[in-house]
Amino acid sequence: MGRSVQNTAFSRRTVLKAGAAAAAVTTTLPFAVPSILRAQTPVVKIGILQPVTGALAHDGDLGRAGAEMAINEINAAGGIKSLGGAKLEMLFGDARSTPEAGTQEVERMQAEGVSAIVGGFASPICLAASQAAARYDLPYLVDVGVSDQIMARGLTNTFRFSPGFGKVTQVALDNLTALNERAGKPGRTVVLVHEDGLFGSGLAKLLQAELPKRGFEVLETIAHPTPARDMSNVALRIRSLNPDLVIPSNYYGEFVLLARTMQQQRIKPKGIYAILGGAASNGRFVKEFPQAAQNVIDCNHWHDPKNPKALALRKAVEGQGKSFAYNVSLNYSNVLLLADAIERAASTDRKKIIEALNASTFAGHIMPYGPTKFVNGQNEGATPINTQIQGEDIKVIFPDAFAEAKANFPAA
Amino acid sequence: MTARDLIPIAVLTLLAALLPLVVTSSPVLNFLVFMLIVALGAQGWNILGGFGGQFSFGHAAFFGTGAYVTAILQLRYGVNAWAGLVLAVAAGAAVGWVIGFLSFRSGLRGSYFALVTLAFAEVFRILANAASFTGGAAGLLIKLDVHPANLQFADRAVFYWLVLALVAAVLLLTRWIQRSRFGAQLVAVRENEDAAKALGVNSLTVKLRAIALSGGVTALSGCLYAQYFLYIDANIAYGSWISVELLLAPIIGGVGTVFGPVVGALTLHGLGEVAKQFAGRIPGIDLIVFGGVLVLAVAFARGGILGLLERLRDRGRGMVTRGPKEVSHAGR
Repeated sequence: MGRSVQNTAFSRRTVLKAGAAAAAVTTTLPFAVPSILRAQTPVVKIGILQPVTGALAHDGDLGRAGAEMAINEINAAGGIKSLGGAKLEMLFGDARSTPEAGTQEVERMQAEGVSAIVGGFASPICLAASQAAARYDLPYLVDVGVSDQIMARGLTNTFRFSPGFGKVTQVALDNLTALNERAGKPGRTVVLVHEDGLFGSGLAKLLQAELPKRGFEVLETIAHPTPARDMSNVALRIRSLNPDLVIPSNYYGEFVLLARTMQQQRIKPKGIYAILGGAASNGRFVKEFPQAAQNVIDCNHWHDPKNPKALALRKAVEGQGKSFAYNVSLNYSNVLLLADAIERAASTDRKKIIEALNASTFAGHIMPYGPTKFVNGQNEGATPINTQIQGEDIKVIFPDAFAEAKANFPAA
Repeated sequence: MTARDLIPIAVLTLLAALLPLVVTSSPVLNFLVFMLIVALGAQGWNILGGFGGQFSFGHAAFFGTGAYVTAILQLRYGVNAWAGLVLAVAAGAAVGWVIGFLSFRSGLRGSYFALVTLAFAEVFRILANAASFTGGAAGLLIKLDVHPANLQFADRAVFYWLVLALVAAVLLLTRWIQRSRFGAQLVAVRENEDAAKALGVNSLTVKLRAIALSGGVTALSGCLYAQYFLYIDANIAYGSWISVELLLAPIIGGVGTVFGPVVGALTLHGLGEVAKQFAGRIPGIDLIVFGGVLVLAVAFARGGILGLLERLRDRGRGMVTRGPKEVSHAGR
């Protein structure tokens, strides 16, 4: 076949034909498909961006479920009343777990005329997607992405309803100290286990600096890659160090693996205290490995368990056979928050929606945040809370205002 | 190079350059920009892998170096983005030369060379992930400041033209390589290194030149990626996804041909987009198409799409398969 230098493998004509055909197919076809006109009832299009393929597919699925439920609920209750009962229409985009796919979906949503976008899930996707949306002044509500960089860029279109990394870690440390003191200070020594990516290493560094100030001794910091297929060595190391507390920060698969390996090897520290734990607040973990999951404490996004709307949502999600996790409640709340802003803006004009979000004091969500108050796009009241896996359920244990159960610490 | 060599490149570039005047839709432009960035990196891979026969599984090493160098220069040292672009290319070429020096001097060929490049890319990924200099796992965020001087443009079409111009420049470079003495030596090394040496070709020098050029071109694409998306982290810049992308495009399009990488990138990503459009409700359908095209290309178009087209044309003209070429193919 023609790879020789002297004798070209293709003629000019071949190349022209190939190039023209390929260009014609790829540039005209995909985007020339006319959208079906639905002019009868007024609609407000909302872009929901979630990674439903790739490494984060499970999380993306949960996020979409939450957003869908909120949209259905709003539509069933009469839509946006200030716009003549306009229905919300979901325009879903698969961010495919990569920033460039997220950007491409934002461009498509923009072309199809959405009024705002909710979602992103992972920080890199949120960073790229909100930036793409900023070009069009398109309001973007970050659902989960905790990276502090997201809100540090001064983008006027970007809002985050949930807490960022700095806030989560500060609250997590405060709560850990409080829980420990309340139990008579059973926890003195700590082993940190973290994945070597975005969350893990940043968090481990911060904890190494902060824990000694609060009277804890960090015995060792163990890093592992994502994905990790085996945790035996990590578990053996923990056994030999015999710490009071293990603080893991990693993703779902690795967290489950670590918890199971520790269970198999009968390593029982006084507490496993996760911060933004990959599985510690995930119903699937509790369902699949109830024994390994027992008594794991997490400091994470979680809904207000005393809010009847939250309980109804949880029931509905579980009724669909899906596991319940914080992405559901966060996306659900974000869509409600956005709908409230559109209602008050009485317009689909993006500037007006952004203004309405900035002025938002929305309290109809299901998170333990109180009414929203955005300062430079960040919701000031946002805070994580502590949950613990007790029996077959994930229970809120701290702070007391939201607690459903007493903390089982030190673990019996 | 003769006019006959240049006309296809000029005509195709001109046609592609006229596109934004007809298609004003941002999703299309955004898609084309990303596709061209991949094509550019794939062209870099093709210089070493296609013409030189040195299959690399770790071109992420160069892509990431380009992306990180430009981002770090801008963020930490306040260097202008355009100067950053030039320096990123130089850094990519230098990294290429060093990796080449270390592996070619040790006589690594074929799958051993492929594995070593893979290892280099992984080492870079882990280092970039751990060092605070590279922003660690949190990555680097280039400040959004839309101004031509910062290599950020309000209109996506401008960025498209810039990437297109660079792709065209590399097409010319590749054509020049194909026609030059250096290119002949490179192909000689690919086909039979020992025979080439016997003919007086300094195979080490030839391969080092090729890997430096290849590294420079791929670093350029990494730099453009960083400049376009304004955010990189270790998994984006040095992740194996980009090594695979850069390797697949030429294989699908036609390894060792001038237009192969561009045709391959356009086909793979283009079909993916088409599939997504027609089956938008089913997530992952584009990835299935991606895989399907790959299987078909490997099974039925051994010379890539360009090779297949050539064979079809020959058959159309009633020509018998050319003997000597088949021999050279079988010998590979």
